[in-house]
Amino acid sequence: MSYALVVGNGAAGTFSSWLLAKRGWEVTLVGRGTPSTALSTGCLRSGPNLCRAEISEFLNNEKMPWASGQREGISKIGTSYRCWMSPSHSTWKEGETPKSIAVVGLDGHPSLLPRVVSAMLNGRKIKATPFTIPSQVPSDVPLTSSFRKDEAWEGLAEELQGLSAEAILLPSLVGLQDYHRLDQLEGRCGRNVLEAITPLGSPGQRLADLMLSKAAEAGVTIWDGRKVTALDVENDAAIGATVVGGMDARHISAEAVILATGGPLVDGLVLKERDVSDPLGKFRIVRSKFPLTGGYDSLNGMLINIDGRPMVNVAGAGDCLSSGSREYGSGLTEALENAYRAVRALEGT
Amino acid sequence: MRTDVLIIGGGATGAGIARDLALRGVNCLLLEMGDFCHGASGGNHGLLHSGGRYAVKDPTSASECALENAVLRSIAPFCIEDTGGLFVSLPEDDPSFADTFVGSCRKANVPFEELTAKEALRSEPELSSRVTRCLKVNDGSIDPFSLVQANVDDARSAGAKVLNHCAVTGMTVENGTVVEVEVRDRRGGIPASIVPEIVVNAAGAWVDEVAKLAGCRVPMGLDQGSMLVMDGRHCRYVVNRLRSPSNGDIIVPNHTSTILGTTSRPAGAPNDVTVSREDVDLLVRETAAMMPSLRERRTIRTYGGVRPLLGGGGRGASRSFAMLNDERVGNLISVAGGKLTTYRLMAEKVSDRVCEMLGSSSNCRTHKEALGPPANGKGDSISAVRLVRKYGRSASSVDTTDARVVCSCEQVLRSEVTAVLKAGDALTLADVMRRTRAGMGYCQGFDCALSVLEIMMEQNGIDPVPSLNEFLGERERGLEHTSGDQLRQEMLRRHVLNGVYGLGVRE
Ligand SMILES: Cc1cc2nc3c(=O)[nH]c(=O)nc-3n(C[C@H](O)[C@H](O)[C@H](O)COP(=O)(O)OP(=O)(O)OC[C@H]3O[C@@H](n4cnc5c(N)ncnc54)[C@H](O)[C@@H]3O)c2cc1C
Ligand SMILES: Cc1cc2nc3c(=O)[nH]c(=O)nc-3n(C[C@H](O)[C@H](O)[C@H](O)COP(=O)(O)OP(=O)(O)OC[C@H]3O[C@@H](n4cnc5c(N)ncnc54)[C@H](O)[C@@H]3O)c2cc1C
Repeated sequence: MSYALVVGNGAAGTFSSWLLAKRGWEVTLVGRGTPSTALSTGCLRSGPNLCRAEISEFLNNEKMPWASGQREGISKIGTSYRCWMSPSHSTWKEGETPKSIAVVGLDGHPSLLPRVVSAMLNGRKIKATPFTIPSQVPSDVPLTSSFRKDEAWEGLAEELQGLSAEAILLPSLVGLQDYHRLDQLEGRCGRNVLEAITPLGSPGQRLADLMLSKAAEAGVTIWDGRKVTALDVENDAAIGATVVGGMDARHISAEAVILATGGPLVDGLVLKERDVSDPLGKFRIVRSKFPLTGGYDSLNGMLINIDGRPMVNVAGAGDCLSSGSREYGSGLTEALENAYRAVRALEGT
Repeated sequence: MRTDVLIIGGGATGAGIARDLALRGVNCLLLEMGDFCHGASGGNHGLLHSGGRYAVKDPTSASECALENAVLRSIAPFCIEDTGGLFVSLPEDDPSFADTFVGSCRKANVPFEELTAKEALRSEPELSSRVTRCLKVNDGSIDPFSLVQANVDDARSAGAKVLNHCAVTGMTVENGTVVEVEVRDRRGGIPASIVPEIVVNAAGAWVDEVAKLAGCRVPMGLDQGSMLVMDGRHCRYVVNRLRSPSNGDIIVPNHTSTILGTTSRPAGAPNDVTVSREDVDLLVRETAAMMPSLRERRTIRTYGGVRPLLGGGGRGASRSFAMLNDERVGNLISVAGGKLTTYRLMAEKVSDRVCEMLGSSSNCRTHKEALGPPANGKGDSISAVRLVRKYGRSASSVDTTDARVVCSCEQVLRSEVTAVLKAGDALTLADVMRRTRAGMGYCQGFDCALSVLEIMMEQNGIDPVPSLNEFLGERERGLEHTSGDQLRQEMLRRHVLNGVYGLGVRE
């Protein structure tokens, strides 16, 4: 069995580890910190051109059903959000916009501001009415922690009883474990329950949790909260890495490596002034005017070393790769596609 | 609608004139096309000059600053931080300049005190150990937004009518007299035509454009200057370079930040405030020569302003002011130049002239009557002091029992926003920011804009998308040169606002 090291705990790192494990590799995934994946909306903006079936299988799970195709949802501030794949309560099929929406906010909590959102929707010719329900949750406490108990959901269902709109738009309230509660709520109210598209909250965290658990299920060894600080390279091949966690530093050997360390936003690439560089000091970087699109140079999935030669067994994936086409608020699909390409490159196909 | 005196421009000068005239019992109306402080009064360094900076080259302006510095400290202590100032020279600076400086300060009556290099380092530990000479002066740090608002409030209580978001767009001149003034009113408060007895043109960098409406000219040198806002306070004193005034000479601690400034280049138009990359590098390089640790600090944003300078403009131009009365239009007085520090003196001179023309004999009272409460009443909490600094006398109208915070960077209470909206002048998110500071912190409104918007919609019913875009666009303008951690913050902001919300933030 071949031994692979994957660095990075976001979409690209978890998907490539999962693919490798499925193909019989022994995989260790080292990741630390909050990945962009967890900051995202948890929806894939664009449809993949590659490995659609693998992505579906990777994301498939019991707890949170998905919907894909041309989808549309409502962002946390009431603007339109279009994507290709999302959790089922986040979006509707494009063209099937609800006739009327009740926008529900919790008093004094900024998670969803019903007046702002309703006005935005009305401006877009969607009939919407703001609705505020009493709440004691302080503005800096996330709602998920307050919506773990049955009573909280009972109370919510009661509050929503009288609403007559076709759909009810809620702030994001659920983690992965509690996703089924949205179905239950829908059953009790008899109306569509929609979750506002929310960045920097539970939807992204759900996706990151799901991805990590799928990788673990496939047999990937996960070293959480640890950082790869150096790669040992010999003759254009990586042979091992230094992994640091707290006071503990250890050396591991590897026959193949995938770098899926994310962009400068999560410190996957070093950002000095406005320039990105390689924290490992081994690989070539393509710079760009916008630090977001700069990153590792690659050839057929393999990273290029600073002498300009492609590595034999180090591939890259996700936000750490340079990409001229990446836009703000998109990149999950690209990360998954890159991961697939990286795995194929390592297998030499 | 008729008025004895129409004042055009709601910067420090215009607001000061309105207050001065109102206190003398003169009927007046002030119109400002944007928000108060839309021009240089909102785009300056916030330094209450001791006069030191101009002592050598511009002694008239230096003496004016020294006198007014003392006056403002006594009438408006709430919006002034008594930081004191240091002038420091480095080995590469011409040593004879310091001697000239000392002599000139004496002549211009600018108080100062010499410190040894060791004493200087003890009182300002982040100073470069290369400092060779240090003079201590009466510089301070002043909040122009709260200063101007206090003038507006005081003018109103004395009977003046003061409106922001009302632009003067045309004038009818008959027989050498402005007989009618045309107004575009964005807030809805006055008729489209005003019939004034006297028109005071206090339009700052726009002074020539306004004069042109009456067929006159007030030739001014327009000069752009850039500033850099650094996160956190890094010095106790205002720190100045002891050399012939040039770029990147001054460090001003202000509220929760430290502001580096300034630069000088010819401006193409009154709103040509764009800050260049070169300015940013220069400001960090030059100020870090005096305080090396500034290199490591996080830059939050940049901003610029345009100085209307007498004559040709540039560093050599006088910082004094002039009042101009074109023979062709007898009832139009234009005033420009000067400093924020000397706004009251300018207002006094203009008001004297206006009263003379109106045949009124009442005297100026603005140097004697307080503009607001005394500073940091002993024993007050930090939050109470902060409120007084921002709102002066109106601080008491904020309900502090409601502890909900809308802007966590600047610790702005929800009830501050409510109080500001109730006062009626704030029409946009940026208007609320200038008054409350919500959005001025390191997240630049990313966190609080929506919550402020929600409150505004509740109270004023404003249109959300244009309001947000206008605000975020304005914030964005100062962020194009961000780097390091602040750039990361900016990327996150764009992921959310541009990418997810699809708002029209510029690329
Ligand atoms: C606010 C926001 C909203 C977004 N919304 C969307 C959206 O709606 N749809 C969409 O498709 N995309 C969206 N994106 C983009 C998307 O999240 C990213 O493109 C994608 O998550 C990148 O995945 P990744 O695996 O490459 O990197 P990441 O998810 O960032 O993962 C990289 C991880 O590696 C870790 N790491 C780095 N260096 C090391 C090291 N040396 N050792 C160990 N670990 C290391 C990092 O800490 C990080 O946790 C959004 C992004 C943001 C920020
Ligand atoms: C970069 C820079 C740094 C500075 N630093 C300092 C400092 O540290 N200390 C100091 O004391 N001074 C400083 N100054 C100088 C100081 O800012 C100005 O002297 C002062 O603010 C001028 O105030 P004002 O009211 O005359 O002009 P402004 O503040 O420019 O006011 C003019 C107003 O007229 C309005 N207006 C224009 N046309 C019309 C119209 N048609 N109808 C209605 N309204 C109109 C404008 O919107 C504007 O608000 C600095 C200036 C600059 C540019």
